[in-house]
Amino acid sequence: MTMTTWLLLFGTFWLLAIAYFSFRSYRKIKTADDYIFAGSSLGVLIGLLTFSATLFSAFTFMGMPDFFRTHGVGSWIFLAISDAAMFFFIIWFGHKLREQGTARGYSGVARLMDKCYDSTSPGLLYFLGIFIFLVPYMAVQIRGIAIFFTAIFPDLMPYWTWITLIVMIIIIYTQIGGLRAIIYSDSLQAIILLLVIWIIGVTCLKNAGGITGLFAKVKQSHPDLLSIPGPQGLLSFQYLLASFWSIIMLPVTQPQITTRLIIMKNEQKMHRMAVSLGVFTFLILIPTIFIGLYGALEYYGIPSNTFLSNVLLFEQTNIIAALAVIGLIAASISTADSQIFALSTEFRSLLKGNEKKVMLYTRLAIVFFAICTLVFSLVSSDQLVILARISFMGTSIMGPMILTGIFSKQIPGKEMIWSTLISLIVFIGSQVGLLPMALFGINIDLLIVIFMIIVTVLSVTLRKRIQKS
Amino acid sequence: MKSKKTLYWNLCILAMVILSIITFSPLVIPEGKFTPLVFGLPRTLWTGIVVYVFMVLFTYFGTRVHPRSDRTKGETE
Repeated sequence: MTMTTWLLLFGTFWLLAIAYFSFRSYRKIKTADDYIFAGSSLGVLIGLLTFSATLFSAFTFMGMPDFFRTHGVGSWIFLAISDAAMFFFIIWFGHKLREQGTARGYSGVARLMDKCYDSTSPGLLYFLGIFIFLVPYMAVQIRGIAIFFTAIFPDLMPYWTWITLIVMIIIIYTQIGGLRAIIYSDSLQAIILLLVIWIIGVTCLKNAGGITGLFAKVKQSHPDLLSIPGPQGLLSFQYLLASFWSIIMLPVTQPQITTRLIIMKNEQKMHRMAVSLGVFTFLILIPTIFIGLYGALEYYGIPSNTFLSNVLLFEQTNIIAALAVIGLIAASISTADSQIFALSTEFRSLLKGNEKKVMLYTRLAIVFFAICTLVFSLVSSDQLVILARISFMGTSIMGPMILTGIFSKQIPGKEMIWSTLISLIVFIGSQVGLLPMALFGINIDLLIVIFMIIVTVLSVTLRKRIQKS
Repeated sequence: MKSKKTLYWNLCILAMVILSIITFSPLVIPEGKFTPLVFGLPRTLWTGIVVYVFMVLFTYFGTRVHPRSDRTKGETE
């Protein structure tokens, strides 16, 4: 069978699965909380799959092989080590988050912050922060896939039609099935992703002559890929350290991930999920090394899309190539829908009043955020991993403010809110070129992290002392 | 029992901090160096994989000794 036939077959199956998940979830929705939090009773397996699908999206499937190809083995430190530290952090943070959520009533991080700080400012600031940094991240994922498909199927439809199609699918099935539909489709996507990435990884490894053959060839042709900072000097100590911080902060600052900790059935299941994530992540990331370094041998220095279309599709059998295409669409959708939904959940948590009206606004917010993503997809840049990292870094700036709110026994000081606001402005200023990217030889993002840590330590200790005296 | 759990939990945190420091030291990420190779893998990669495995192991130990986990089991199951 040709690739198109397989594509039609898998595509139909996938769309039917999404439709089934939506209507099955729709039947289970009895209250607004069912729609928003999927009944808050996730088991370990579904929790693991939905968390993974949200975390590992097109960014992993396309971005990481390309990152290994371009920047070398330092990419392992960039993502894998940071993820492993984050899984440990989930045990500590998840416990406190769930405790606070139970004590204060959880409807979203924004509302929780308002309660912790006894003020409406931190909630608004948090919402503004995630809006600014999540929309470009969602957009770049969808745009990346759309441009990739346009390159593969140039006569089928223009890239903006792909973008519109993906956003429309997201709007329809999230409106019908809510978070539960997203979780089910996430689970399907995570399984497809793991299967396809291993098949492609093993093919690349075989073509390169096994593990030792692969690394021996890379050593001969591109030895600078085998150490940091990589050929382009990107993966420096400072860059890796700031990335480490920003990725550890993901459960704190990215609402789609925070939500998944809250809706686990109990803390024990959340613990098991954290450990399972460690194993799953290892399995997902290992083949991206093989694909990336194989790409460095065969497709060094050529555009990302050409490398990816060759390795992920043209070098594969028709059935695997078709599965990869569906996997990519599913991957981009599963991350974008979770983020659009999480933004709407946070928006809802800031609203007060009649539940029916609040739900109506929440559903309208989903459409609004999806349209924002659509518009941004049409104008954003194509740097998948770089933009993902900016999104992680940007939201991580709010980490100390949230952690202080959740862990403090007293109401934290306003200085936490002000320092977060200033840091966000400085970070955005540096990204758009209004402020320098480094000061005194230190990257601005790392300086911001250091500044926020100092402010947090001072704020907490001084306020404790004042209270004691 | 609880104080023992707290001790083990604190040891897990300490182990994770040490592993993180090792990761960002020249032991794992020496600039421009990729030797010694192990099974053909460059230094940053194989040491990075070892650190990763240990971090996941300590995450597992952490879930077993987290001081508040007993209470949670009783509350929710």
